[in-house]
Order: sequence, then structure tokens, then C-alpha cells
Amino acid sequence: MIAVPRLRLDKKDRQSLLVALPFVGPWVIGFLAFTAYPIYYSFTISFTRYSGFGDATNIGFTNYEHMYHDVLFWKSMYNTLYYVALAVPVGLVIAIALGLAMNQKVREVAIYRAAIYAPSILPIYALTFIFIVLLNPRFGVLNYAIVTLGGPSINWLGDPAWTKVSVVILAQLGAGGPALIFLAAIRGIPSELYESAALDGAGAIRRFYHITLPLLTPVILYDLILGLILGLQIFTPAYVLTQGGAGAGAGQYVAGPDNSLMFYVLYLYKTAFQFTDMGYASALATVLFLVSVVLALAIMRTSRSWVHYEVT
Amino acid sequence: MRSFSGRGWTASLICLSVVVAACAQGGGSSGPPLAGCKSGTTLATFWTSHTPPDSDSLKHVVDTYNGQSSVGCVKMVQVPGSETDVTKLMTAVRGGSGPDVYMLDRFTVAERAAAGVLTDLTKYGAGNLSSKYVDFAWKEATFQGKPYALPLDTDVRALWYRKDLLKAAGVDITPLDAANGPVTIDTVRTMANKVNHQDASGAYDVIGFVPWVDQGWHYTWGFDFGGSFFDSGSCKVTPTDPKIVQAFTTMFGDWAKALGPEKAQTWVSSFLPPNNPPQQWPFLTGKTAFIITGDWPLNWVKQYKPDLQYGVTYIPIPKTGDTPSTWAGGWSLVIPTGAKHADAGYDFMKYLAGPDGMKTYVTETQHLPTWKSLGSDASLYQGDHTFFATKLLPVAKSRPPIPVGAFYWDQLSTAQDAVVRGSATADKALADVATNTNAKLQQFCPLK
Repeated sequence: MIAVPRLRLDKKDRQSLLVALPFVGPWVIGFLAFTAYPIYYSFTISFTRYSGFGDATNIGFTNYEHMYHDVLFWKSMYNTLYYVALAVPVGLVIAIALGLAMNQKVREVAIYRAAIYAPSILPIYALTFIFIVLLNPRFGVLNYAIVTLGGPSINWLGDPAWTKVSVVILAQLGAGGPALIFLAAIRGIPSELYESAALDGAGAIRRFYHITLPLLTPVILYDLILGLILGLQIFTPAYVLTQGGAGAGAGQYVAGPDNSLMFYVLYLYKTAFQFTDMGYASALATVLFLVSVVLALAIMRTSRSWVHYEVT
Repeated sequence: MRSFSGRGWTASLICLSVVVAACAQGGGSSGPPLAGCKSGTTLATFWTSHTPPDSDSLKHVVDTYNGQSSVGCVKMVQVPGSETDVTKLMTAVRGGSGPDVYMLDRFTVAERAAAGVLTDLTKYGAGNLSSKYVDFAWKEATFQGKPYALPLDTDVRALWYRKDLLKAAGVDITPLDAANGPVTIDTVRTMANKVNHQDASGAYDVIGFVPWVDQGWHYTWGFDFGGSFFDSGSCKVTPTDPKIVQAFTTMFGDWAKALGPEKAQTWVSSFLPPNNPPQQWPFLTGKTAFIITGDWPLNWVKQYKPDLQYGVTYIPIPKTGDTPSTWAGGWSLVIPTGAKHADAGYDFMKYLAGPDGMKTYVTETQHLPTWKSLGSDASLYQGDHTFFATKLLPVAKSRPPIPVGAFYWDQLSTAQDAVVRGSATADKALADVATNTNAKLQQFCPLK
């Protein structure tokens, strides 16, 4: 067993600590009270039957066992992972493309940047309402364009094969945010690298793949992790599109046709607040937490082989 | 450091006296808590998720109550929520900042009471009012034999038909006159098929009848075919009742297959998209000739298309001689757990859910009353509203008031969707409903 040396603080260290504590204290207290304790509390009630009121009844691992047999658990997990698998790479490519576009040396670039970023500042709630109109199979502009170009008319929100794709497209309206980060990263790449590559005869595509892309990998990693976490928590578009998942939609769906928009957090929300089953909802939350951690760690682990922090 | 000067002491004393005076003012006043209320009344908060025009009417009732009550003074607040979504209420109650009165979908009363969100109204003597309300509404307001709500309004479902569209398609609409009694489903199918119209691309621009939209729910057709959704004796839901299976097969599976499930769903997505405003209700815009809906669109017709040529009749029956059916929903008033001014809140509830408040509310909103004596008050109803009140309400059924009502509804809706799209047979889909719902229900059994 390795002996851990005891941390020794001299007088100066202790004085520094006394100065630092008031500054970091509020954050530490906030983290403990509003993040760490709720996670711990949620974990403890995941072993109970609890409505959120009165006394909780300890039921051991029953909630976790039930999850195994719960069709909607698997359905919502599948929907969410499907969404993440589609939305994260698509979002990444679009954000990089927009970042490159915003970096072009044209006079009106400021206008283009503002136009590209503008949808990001609109609340997703409002964007979803707009999107419902754009996706109407008869009157929507998207289908109009597809049909005009000779494609088929798509029932975006009424066909289970297309509902999640619709949400992926909707999510791209917020690509302006990450695109700005990519723009900053692109502008941080030393120009002499491009100049020497050009002198060596490298074309634009080769310069992108061998200079731009490798040097963007730290930002790509950041975007992947953020996209993964936000993707696993996808909620608002599904909530609006399914009218709260309350089963009261005129199309008589609970959460889209074939529950294709029953994303994990929407199911968790319904379980907690519509079915008043806080114990099971907490078990769902615990599993989501674990899935998020595992996927994030997996990405971090693979990142060692493809993220380049320095020009070598 | 400078010493505390005489001027500092003076300033502190002035501040202190201002604070003391303010406290004395707040604590000892006998003035009304709100403008329009009487002095000495207790402020009670009333939350509703209703929107105009219903919330406008609720405000009228609140104002009238405030002007005459010597007990309570009510502040009405509109909050987010829906029939089964009471997130705002639950989080507020849990946080100790819930309202004193909440307007709750009545069929979820048992579910919320079982969860501990609601106050037992026995101590207020609510049980003595049971005979004043129509039976189904009172049953929905109780859980394990105890009252947890006072019923407010109700609604019933019927078949609406567009006279102009049917006549234009060459249909004789005489049989649809409610005075002739209910027509059969086959009759409606024949009429509806004459109205179906597809555009050049092959997509429906008008469909005669889509039985699963609007209020064409599982309960609607299950009741219509004579099915029973719950057996109180065994404390089990019974969605696999052969009559319900038949209803699902006929009205969802077979009907969708005849129209073409994808084409029909494209029509639904086009003309009934999520959050569709009432102005674009496809019955108003002439995109369907028949629709199952309640009595509330009477207001939409009045507001958006007063010259609409339409009629209202019974929900079509499976075969000649069957008894027509419908089902009633509606809202109720409850006192959430931990309400700080429950006494004043209950006083207001008695008024709004009593003859005076309910009369104002149902007259202004064209809803139906649950207070028995108002049911026979002909002055409350005009035009087609009379049909809903006098012909349909007396024979209306209601959803089983069970503590997993919202879950059961979701399960039935999922089954309905699967059968419409043809991804499951009615037998299989409803068997899953039974398994999943009964597993959740057992923890509350037996039910009184």
C-alpha cells in the first residue's frame, strides 16, 4: 500500500487558503446543495416507491428490475441514442462548415456571421413552433422544396421513420453557437502553416485535412462531449411536438407516432410528474447519469489517439 | 475607524421606526387583501391552467365571489399545465408554495389523491354535497370513499357533420337528424366515403371521416361498442374486453386500412398538426365532413364561422337497435396538500362549484354543469347545446376513477396508435395495456 503523504500547510499556505475560501465557498456550497445532494437524494429514492409526498417505501432493486421489462424504457433509450448518433456528428459537420464559412475574407462577413448566429439566440421552444409549420407535409416549405426538386412528400411528424430526423434538423438551427467556437479556433491557427503548405503545393482540401482539421480536434472533442450530454437530455422539442407527451394531441399520439419522440428525459418527466412515480423516475435518472458518464469517458479515452493539442 | 456619530444614530433610529411602522401596518390592518374584496377576508390563491375564453369566465366568478364573500378573497393565477400534466402544482406543493385551490382534471383526482397531493375534504363536510352532483362526477371526485374534490363542469362527445360537404357529395343527410335517433357506423362509412377526395398527387385533401382524431378516443369507441374498461370487483383494468377489441379493430385498424394508413396520417399531420389553433380545426376549414368532438367547439363556431352549415347527432352505433353512448369528462376543484388558507379556499370552492358559480361558468363557456338541478335549467342552453345537455349528458359514461388513470390513458393511446398504423393487432396491443396497467394498479388495491 502506498502511503499518502499528509498535506502540510505552512503559515503562508493557510493564509492563502483563508483568502481563497470566501471566494470559492459560495460555489462549493452551491455545488453541494444544488448538485451533489440532489444526485445523492435521487439515487437513494431510486430504491423506493415514492410519489414525492408522504413516506417513501423501500423496495430494493425493484425499480431497476422493472426497467428491464419496461418497453418504454428501452424505446426511450433507443430513441435517445438514435438521436445522439445522428444529431452529434451532423451538428459537428455543420458547425465546422459554418465556422469555415464565417471565416471567409469577404466584405459582408459580419452580416453573414450575424445571420448564421441569429437562430441560436431564439428559444428552442419558439423555434419548435415555427418548425411545425415548416414541416407541414402539405403546406410546409421544406416539403415544397423537396417535391419541387422531384423528391417525395415526407410526413415529417406523422411517420415514425422521420420524426427523429425532424428533431435533428431542428437542432441544426442552433448550430451558430458551436460554429462561433470553431471560428475562433480556426482563426487561432497560425497562418504560416497554411503559407508553407501552399508553397509545398498543398491545395485547399489537403490544407483542410492536414492542418485545419487536426488543429481543431481539441474543439471537436469539446463539441462532441457537449453534444453528447445535451443530446442525451433532449427534451424541449419533443415536449412541444407532443404537446407535453400528455396523450392529448389531435393526432392521438402519446409521444409521436409509435412513441418515436418518447425521448429518455421526456419519459422520465412523465414518470415523475404525470404518473407521480418519483422512485422509478429517479432510477431512470441514475441510469441516464451512468450512460452519460460511460459514453463521455469512452470518447475521452479514444481522444488520446485523435486529438492534437500541439503542432508537431 | 471612525466612531459612530450622533448623526448615524439618528439615521438608524429613523430607519428602525420606518420598519416598525411598516410591520405594524402589515400585521394589524383589517383592510381588504385585494381590491374588490371585503375587509377582514382571508386571501386564498386559486390556480388554473385554463386559457381564454374559459379563464375569462372563471375571473368573472372570482370577482363576483370577492365582492360578496365575508370569508375569502381569491386571487386567480393562470399557470402552465394540462389535463394530466400537473408539474407546476406538484413542485409548488412540495416546495411549500402551492395554491389554496387548484382546478384539476376530474378523472385524475384519484391518481393525485393516491399520490398524496390532495387534501381530504371530509372535514369540510364535502361528503354532504354528494347528492347535489351527478353520480359519475361525484364518483370521480372521490378516492377510497373519501371526497377529494368538488366537481365543476362536464362535457360530452357527439358526432358533428358538415351539411354542405355531404350535400355537395350527393348524400341525403336526413338520417343524420338527431330527432331520428342514432345512425349506424356503416351508414356513416357509406356517407363519408362519398366525400373522400384526393388531389393530383394522390394525397387526401378532404376525408369524410377519420374516427380516431379529435375526441375519437379509445374510450369513445370502447364505450360505443358496449365495452367495460375496469372491473372494480377484481380491481383490474379490462381493455381486453372483446367489445373493446372489436371497437379497436373496426374503428381504428379496419378504417385506417380502408383509407390507407399512411395517406390518412398525412392528412392528420397536414390539417391537425401539433398545437393546431381552433381557427384551423379541419371541421371548420372544410377538410372533413364528420368528426367526433365535444360541446366546446360550439364556441369556436360562434367565434370563427357563425355561418357554418353543420349538425350534431349521436355517436354512430355498431348496429341498428344499439343504445347510443357517449362519455363525459370535465374538471374539478381541489385543495392541494399543505394549503395555507384552506378554509377560505374551500369557501370559494363551494361557491364556484355550487349553483351560482357553476351557472355563471357554464353559461359563459357553453360547458355543461355537474350540479344536478342546473341540468334541468333550460335557460342555460341555446341551440345545439340543448342536445348535449338533455339527450347526451343523462346517458353519458365516464372513465374509471382509478389511481393510475393517466397511465392507463397513455397505454390505451399507444395501443390505439399501433392499431391505426397497423403495427399491432387490437388483441396484442390491448393485452399489453392490461399487463402494464394492472402491474401499476395492484399497489392500490382493493379500491373502495
